[in-house]
Amino acid sequence: MPSTQKPPIAGAAIDPPSLRPPIDDAVIERIAPVELRARLEALKANGFAMLLDIGAVDYLEREPRFDVVYHLLKLAPRPASVSEVGTPERMRLLCGINDGEHLRSAMDLWRSADWAEREIFDLFGIVFDGHADLRRIQMPEDWEGYPLRKDYPMRGPAAERSPRPAFANKSNVVAGTPPSGRTLEALQEQVKRARS
Amino acid sequence: MEEGRLRVAVSPGQFMLARVDDVARWAQSSSVWPLTMGLACCAIEMMTVTSAEYDIARLGSEVFRSSPRQADLMIVSGRVAQKMAPVVKRLYDQMADPKWVISMGACASSGGIFDNYAVVQGVDTIVPVDVYVPGCPPTPDGLLYAVNLIQQQIREGGRGGILARS
Repeated sequence: MPSTQKPPIAGAAIDPPSLRPPIDDAVIERIAPVELRARLEALKANGFAMLLDIGAVDYLEREPRFDVVYHLLKLAPRPASVSEVGTPERMRLLCGINDGEHLRSAMDLWRSADWAEREIFDLFGIVFDGHADLRRIQMPEDWEGYPLRKDYPMRGPAAERSPRPAFANKSNVVAGTPPSGRTLEALQEQVKRARS
Repeated sequence: MEEGRLRVAVSPGQFMLARVDDVARWAQSSSVWPLTMGLACCAIEMMTVTSAEYDIARLGSEVFRSSPRQADLMIVSGRVAQKMAPVVKRLYDQMADPKWVISMGACASSGGIFDNYAVVQGVDTIVPVDVYVPGCPPTPDGLLYAVNLIQQQIREGGRGGILARS
């Protein structure tokens, strides 16, 4: 939904593990960019034959700014009988990098990294060295800016020229009252309670 | 023509007399062939309108043509992305006159719920629209009503006669 509230930035970009929903399906590992390549090669050699997706997150005020997330899948080996069907293993690698840092492309390990890295480059501006054809994939080729960064205007670069009409704003914006429900203060309260 | 009926004079022999404009408009309004411009979710409702229950073919839209050369009506159904906008404009330009445009759904009419960088806020910023259909998505009945309005516009005639958009 188009939000009339600005996204919470400037100190509010937090990702406390205590507030994440419980996910038991994957092993989540945080890794430094220098070790990323070796770890990916090791995982591929270990049987993680499928790279499901690569995602990215922009924590604007955090150091490092971006998190690049690799989702890997290792299918169970072919069972000898129906009773021996195994469960697949999932792996999630989180790699924190800063604006301007480059990552090495995983395209030579998994071909699915091709478009996933193009998408991240298109929307976040993270460059992957060694990618065969790193160009925009969703936005038009001559688009300027990286739309999914937290400091990119949500309505686009021309937003100031066409302000939202008053009838399209939520009632609390029109009335000038604070919003209700999921607000920045409520989230910070939640974090404080979880940490204490 | 009044009330959508072709006004003819029937002579005692085997001749029917009518104005060329009226006959042409009657023919055009009875065979409005849409161009497939199903972009997003509204396209599902547009497909439903071709099903037996709603049946746009009984209004004359027997086929949805993929070629703009063979279509009269462009039903823009769905959100128009910034990347798709030049394509929509090009296909509209390639359609032969007379041509009409229905903007189906909230996203085609005004950007809908997507007030963001990626969606064009209304296809009427790119092509001239004759009928807007509200809804997210509009019911197939709504689209049928819009086609009825287009037919009414064609029959009532407009500025340049039968060879131009009414």
